[in-house]
Amino acid sequence: MNEAPRPLSLLCELTYRCNLQCPYCYNPLDYKTYGDELSTEQWRSVLVQAAELGVVQAHFSGGEPTLRRDLAELIAAAEGCGLYTNLITQGTFLDDAALDALLAAGLDHIQISIQAPDAALADEIAGTVVHERKLDAVRRVAQRDVALTLNCVLHRLNHDSIAEVIEYARVAGVRRLELANVQFYGWAFRNRAALMPTREQVARGEALVDAARARLRGEMEIVYVLPDYFGDFPKPCMNGWGRQFLTVTPNGRVLPCPAAAAIETLSFENVRDRRLSEIWRHSDSFERYRGTAWMPEPCRSCERREVDWGGCRCQAYLLAGDAGATDPACSLSPQHAIVTSLRDGNGETSLVARRA
Amino acid sequence: MKLDARPQFGKGVKLRQEPGGLAMLLVPESALSLNAPAAAAMELVDGERTLAEIVDAVVEHFEVGADRARDDLVDLFDRLAERGFVR
Repeated sequence: MNEAPRPLSLLCELTYRCNLQCPYCYNPLDYKTYGDELSTEQWRSVLVQAAELGVVQAHFSGGEPTLRRDLAELIAAAEGCGLYTNLITQGTFLDDAALDALLAAGLDHIQISIQAPDAALADEIAGTVVHERKLDAVRRVAQRDVALTLNCVLHRLNHDSIAEVIEYARVAGVRRLELANVQFYGWAFRNRAALMPTREQVARGEALVDAARARLRGEMEIVYVLPDYFGDFPKPCMNGWGRQFLTVTPNGRVLPCPAAAAIETLSFENVRDRRLSEIWRHSDSFERYRGTAWMPEPCRSCERREVDWGGCRCQAYLLAGDAGATDPACSLSPQHAIVTSLRDGNGETSLVARRA
Repeated sequence: MKLDARPQFGKGVKLRQEPGGLAMLLVPESALSLNAPAAAAMELVDGERTLAEIVDAVVEHFEVGADRARDDLVDLFDRLAERGFVR
């Protein structure tokens, strides 16, 4: 048994509803079964409990969180507990009135996603005509007193547009740009064959990002999330299971990772039934893979065991069928061939849009 | 950052006090832990005091080796400025 560390970050997935249909969405395929959303009062209680546990940052996401009418109220509640507030949005509803309400509530940081730098490709990926509205939102937010990050998820269809995304962000006055290679969970896992970038794209992308970072040093920070299937070692998912992060789903389930609902061998407890602190400290789902004692070889004796924490439990489950296995993304995993065959796959191009 | 600059926090940057005189600088998607001199310096960031005034006040208060402490603090402000957390 490990003593539970202090969580720093709470992801509030307020709703899985969304007006976009991005095929790389990490939301669960059965997101329509999450209709029983927590009430405003229940979310308030979650925020208070999280602050008591030591959390310092609250992230509001979804789905599309601005579809919740009580969003500004929840941000004000989080700010009232001393939490730093971050809104992760696709931006299509961020008109001036909405922004006024969110900023009046004390919102600290907004992340707006775009699908690509040009409208034709962006709208094709989003499955609906929204790109120009997103750019309007970026322009509006850049003028306000709130931190702005522009996000773009990278995959085979837009990986060749990285230079244009960087240039757009620079001209728009974005201080922080996140270029995140798609991670294969939820709809993205369903569509992984068509979304997988090529080796050439990944190599070109990294070189472009390195050059842009040097050129724009002090002007724009570029966060680059590496592609999962192309490295020698796995990502340190969540910086360790049950170590710093917790996620609450729209219906109140508490997850160690936003993708963890896919793990059918774990059952996750609900804030409707138990205090958040007890779930964090004592629930089987958080305890199961916390620390290093659960690790099999080659993780158990690996000098990187407290660097990458065995990689991602959800990825181990999705690819190897065992959430307690070494992440197959690790080159030392006995099941690494699963990843290399997916990575070097067959050029599948058909996508399944997330259905609204 | 020059010593006569008057630093202020960038957008979305907040100082948070923690028990034991420690503090965190809360920034987009991260929380930077500050030691006591760094926390004291951040408390003086108001867009009016110069960097020299901030450094002098902290060095005096903590009675630490002055040259080293000055260099450390100026270096901290440079690193924060590069990421847009102070300007």
